[in-house]
Amino acid sequence: MIANLDGLNKAFESKIRLGIMSVLMANESVDFTMMKSLLELTDGNLASHARSLEELGYIHCEKKFIGRKPNTSYSITDLGRAAFSAHIQALASFINTQQ
Amino acid sequence: MENKEVLNTLNDIKEMMERSSKFKAISGLSIVIVGILASLVSAYIYFCMGDYHINTPAKWRTTVIIAIVLLVVAFATVFVMSYLKARHFKLRFTFDTTMRRLLLNFFIPMAAGGLLCFALLSQQHYGLVSSITLIFYGLALINSSHFSYSELRYLGYAELALGLIDCFLVDYAVLTWFLGFGVFHIVFGIIFMLKYGRRK
Repeated sequence: MIANLDGLNKAFESKIRLGIMSVLMANESVDFTMMKSLLELTDGNLASHARSLEELGYIHCEKKFIGRKPNTSYSITDLGRAAFSAHIQALASFINTQQ
Repeated sequence: MENKEVLNTLNDIKEMMERSSKFKAISGLSIVIVGILASLVSAYIYFCMGDYHINTPAKWRTTVIIAIVLLVVAFATVFVMSYLKARHFKLRFTFDTTMRRLLLNFFIPMAAGGLLCFALLSQQHYGLVSSITLIFYGLALINSSHFSYSELRYLGYAELALGLIDCFLVDYAVLTWFLGFGVFHIVFGIIFMLKYGRRK
């Protein structure tokens, strides 16, 4: 039953990181609060997973101030889009080889 | 077993992409209620205005006031009932990017159409007003269907087609409003409820 899972990206093994990438694939940019409520996460949890994706260069994080409140918003990079598409391709072809 | 897991992952991805980009808490029942309200109001205008030709400034004034009140009541109904639906089924109902995008994409064509109608009415060009309301409402629905249930566009196409047909007819304003805002909403609302009513 060990099939070929070479194309899978380790970075997207965590459900949370997978969720962040899915949301950013469908939206131009998403702010911290909305991402948190969509994925039902805590502040720290989201921040650490987002940072690891940012370090890989998959997402871009923009911090700015709206009035006096800090506002963080995330968007996907070209590299991230390519990596995530490849991951989905790998998942899909895995399904195909099983059938 | 693995296979199932991978399928679940792919489903999660799809669901998350949908949920984050589309507003999915519109109440189908409220669409039906809006349709019933609109039918009753058009019937009232038809039967209570002496003859149904809306061709004098006074009749237009009454009609416009009724229409604006109806519009406000209709939006309030959809909004409140959608809110209740969202609470009942624990759906997202917050004023975030998704809802903002939906409202913006709906109200830009609506506002443009509304202003155009006001301009026409103020210059006493009454003839095309009924078709313009339907055409712009149809465009607003088609436009906003990208940010909510994609089926909304079929209602939009229907309103748009009816509006365009109405352009070529004279004196059928009340009848086309009855069809477009009444009957179409009732039919669409029922289909919508059958499809989405019970789930989630």
